[in-house]
Amino acid sequence: MQIKKRAAAVALLTAATVVLTGCASGSTTSAGDAAACEPSEGKVDLTFTTWIPGMEDAVKVWNDENPDVQVKVQTGPNGNGGTYQNFFNQLKAGNAPDLGQIEYDALPNFRVQDGLMDLAACEGVLDAKNDFVDWTWGQVNFGEDDAVYAVPQDAGPMAMFYRTDLFEANNIAIPTTWEEFAVAAEAVRATGGYITNFSQSDINQFAGFVWQAGGSWFENDGDNWTVDLASPESVKVADYWQDLIDRDLVSTNPPWTDEWNNAYNTGSNWTWNSAAWGANSIASGAPDTSGKWSVALSPQWASGDNAAGNWGGSSTAVFKGSKHPYEAAQFALWLNTSDEALTMLNKSANLYPAAKSGLELPALKEGIEFYGGQAIYDVFAEASAQVSPDFIWGPTMTQVYNDTSDGFKGAVTGNGTLSDALTSSQKSTIDALEAQSIPVNK
Amino acid sequence: MSTLTPTTPAKPARGIRSIEGKAPRAQRESPFARVSAMIVMAVFTLYFLVPIWWLLVAASKNRSQFNSTNPLWFADFSLFENIGNLVAYRDGVYLKWMLNSALYAGVGALVGTIIAGMCGYALAKYNFPGRELIFNVVLGGVLVPATALALPLFLIFSQISLTNTFWSVFLPSLVSPFGVYLARIYASASVPDELIEAARLDGAGELRTFFTVSVRMMVPALVTVFLFQFVAIWNNFFLPLIMLRDETLFPVTLGLYAWNSQVNQIPVLRDYVLIGALLSIIPLIIIFLLLQRFWRNGLSAGSVK
Amino acid sequence: MSAPAVPLTDAPGSAARKRPRVAKPEKPAGAKPRVQHKGAILAFVLPFGTLFALFYLVPIGYAIYQSLLVIEREGTFGQATQVFGGLTQYILVFQNGPFWTSIGRVLAFGAVQVPIMLGLALLFALLLDSPLVRGKKFFRLAFFVPYAVPGVIAAIMWGYLYSPNLSPFRAVTENINFLSADLVLWAIANVVTWVFVGYNMLIIYSALLAIPTELYEAARIDGAGQLRIAWSVKIPLIMPAIILTAIFSIIGTLQLLAEPQVFRSFSSAVTSTFTPNLTVYSTSSIPNFNLAAAFSVVLALATFILSFTFLKFTQRKEAK
Repeated sequence: MQIKKRAAAVALLTAATVVLTGCASGSTTSAGDAAACEPSEGKVDLTFTTWIPGMEDAVKVWNDENPDVQVKVQTGPNGNGGTYQNFFNQLKAGNAPDLGQIEYDALPNFRVQDGLMDLAACEGVLDAKNDFVDWTWGQVNFGEDDAVYAVPQDAGPMAMFYRTDLFEANNIAIPTTWEEFAVAAEAVRATGGYITNFSQSDINQFAGFVWQAGGSWFENDGDNWTVDLASPESVKVADYWQDLIDRDLVSTNPPWTDEWNNAYNTGSNWTWNSAAWGANSIASGAPDTSGKWSVALSPQWASGDNAAGNWGGSSTAVFKGSKHPYEAAQFALWLNTSDEALTMLNKSANLYPAAKSGLELPALKEGIEFYGGQAIYDVFAEASAQVSPDFIWGPTMTQVYNDTSDGFKGAVTGNGTLSDALTSSQKSTIDALEAQSIPVNK
Repeated sequence: MSTLTPTTPAKPARGIRSIEGKAPRAQRESPFARVSAMIVMAVFTLYFLVPIWWLLVAASKNRSQFNSTNPLWFADFSLFENIGNLVAYRDGVYLKWMLNSALYAGVGALVGTIIAGMCGYALAKYNFPGRELIFNVVLGGVLVPATALALPLFLIFSQISLTNTFWSVFLPSLVSPFGVYLARIYASASVPDELIEAARLDGAGELRTFFTVSVRMMVPALVTVFLFQFVAIWNNFFLPLIMLRDETLFPVTLGLYAWNSQVNQIPVLRDYVLIGALLSIIPLIIIFLLLQRFWRNGLSAGSVK
Repeated sequence: MSAPAVPLTDAPGSAARKRPRVAKPEKPAGAKPRVQHKGAILAFVLPFGTLFALFYLVPIGYAIYQSLLVIEREGTFGQATQVFGGLTQYILVFQNGPFWTSIGRVLAFGAVQVPIMLGLALLFALLLDSPLVRGKKFFRLAFFVPYAVPGVIAAIMWGYLYSPNLSPFRAVTENINFLSADLVLWAIANVVTWVFVGYNMLIIYSALLAIPTELYEAARIDGAGQLRIAWSVKIPLIMPAIILTAIFSIIGTLQLLAEPQVFRSFSSAVTSTFTPNLTVYSTSSIPNFNLAAAFSVVLALATFILSFTFLKFTQRKEAK
């Protein structure tokens, strides 16, 4: 009886495994195929998974104006909080939504997992290229001129938020170069505060610094990836911040914690090199400091340079397997270029549009009270024009962020340096790519 | 696995101990023992409850006072105002979440306890080939981390087109290996074979015996299993995370988790997460209080006599 | 349902009175004993069994199958196919240094935290079951409440309590950094203990409730105090429950994920490979399902070996 039961259990497992693997077959179209993109007949229902607050209201506008193409919004935690994992599961199971929110740094991963539909054949999409700020288009077409895999939604050009009152009261000049920044850091420290906080886990912020310095962590020549986490520019940025950490000129609070908020609220930290969407974060995290902040362009590496980095930004992608790619593409275009949608999303989620027309929105021309009445988005518009289009993300950024953050955490507690961390995650990234048989130059 | 069948004494006679264990006879316990015991309990009560108190205080504050006032005492008391804001946010989606949690956990724990109880009882009271195998396989199932099972589970439900439905969370929640283990132990300890034999000889079927006789013996145990299953389902956000996309199906913990992940973009959500968490503990406390009376010393199922 | 008409007229304590039994038929030598009540047994076991097979066994089978595959693809964005790779993934697992460090870490964690937690749970359960404590209902609830707190809140709560600047216990946290590399493991241990002592206490307490009180009478007559009763009477009788909580605590320790995950957001010392299960989670978000599956199988085996050894050890002690 025992043997029979065991045999039965094995048979059950085998059968079940066969069933499951049958349903988990990969897609059959090869990468790069621009699927024919024809309009569908009759009424179309689309599903769109996103975590952007206020999206339902923007979508409602579309639904009211397009009774034949109804979009249903599905929500959940943000991408790295579980929704990307869900997308991968759903792609495997064949029941992914039509549209999904995907940040720029996650797009190559989805491309490698063959989850994105090439929208080039869909009417109007390729033509929309000029509607968007150049470098954002580069994020969604992976350098292929006659293909496009998502529609850019928002961007995160970086600038420097700073406490106007503190700098003035202590007679410290606003730095315009990183060298000046280090000197100012000493002066700030002498008053008892820290010029800024170094974030050990916002690796995409660090990537933004490297982006500004002209480096790129990944290259892709079509046949092989090249991983360059420890490139000269990257090491230059790492050594710069390591020096500030070693001399105790920057604080090292874990970011996005009460501790971190408190440092800004009590004036212990004086600046934050952050993206356009950061305006709201300071306003909520440090409410006692209202009216005392301003925004300036990021410090430069050489006096007179004008380069800026980017932190964040996402796109609207159409998943492979969608039955209505034409309608999905039209919706994605509308969502990310129409003034109405962009105004609503900026208001509800503080999104800074990637569309050129979006930069002219009235909401983005106003003075902001928290920032002493400054029209801060003018600065970000200028910064956005200075972002290099040459920065490429790799296909395993979650892993890169994890490994680099692990090393950075060690560095801020005295174990190794930031450069060491980059070297070590260079190696582990190559390993991770090889573990998935993604071709990579050693 | 003979360790898990306890060595019950040969004569498991039943007595009725009075509730709360107050000894009817003269106290033998020294005042010193009593006082020490109470001190130990009091100290640890502080340990367990201070963080909860912090949560209550934090939920009653405005965002601006959060960091600047004494964390263990109230500032301006705006708890009810905060609750009002929470409930109004996004058309009361929080209340929908509470309702979902109540369904998933309430019905799920009920059914789960019954089937785990049945299975544990059978493993304890009947001798059949494969008994130990089943027991070991159930234990084996718990050895594999749930993170590895997420994708296969999702694939299973995709095959039957049940993802993003109530059932995708409800059905897997019914399975409680731990409940089976507990039920087996408690059944061995509290349900005497003689009772079952007696019922059998009087012509009652096995199932009937279980539901009318044995269950009463196992009440404190089953209540424990139900309570744990209820809390486990209530607080489980990993399973709903992979199965659900429709916000109206979320349980409370997944909803709070989703809000918390958006805090960088909408900082006000931090407040709602705190208040939401505080409120979500309340049903669990209520359930606990309701179930407390089943934890009686001795066996009130002495009514069988 | 009304109580069955069971003519139990025995007075308590006279279960020795034998009931006339139906004589079992003589079995031919060598035959297996007939299984009685087959239908009932099936009815009892099948509901749980089928759901368990469907939601645990099948996914496990699939995960094991996944762990034997590798991915092959062409070009930087080429089509991927899964082919049989034998033990390739397992070789990667065994070469992964941080993974084995994390196993050592959770073992050290468990060796300290589990005995303390269960010791406290046992102590509180015994205290609650004795006449020494008043207000049992209040204490039961108070000790249970931490288990009711959802995990996502633990992040905010404990991040705050351990914070050097914002904690109500600033006097302590300013001087001792509980979130540093030396202490963070024990800071996590504290949180796990805080959550689960009440839980384990209730399991042991429920087992205590099943003990017939006549056993205490005998001991009391002999003059035994509470301590003696606890040691000689209660603990031996609830040993199965204690062992059960120990096994599940061991399993839970090796699968530690939620608390370290939460600590990652506010401690510089918790990496993405801090515990083995965190490694599984990080690997499956790359996404590399095959490697993650291999990690989980190895983790499950390690857990099995540990639990099995513990069981054998306790069985041997019991047999003495």
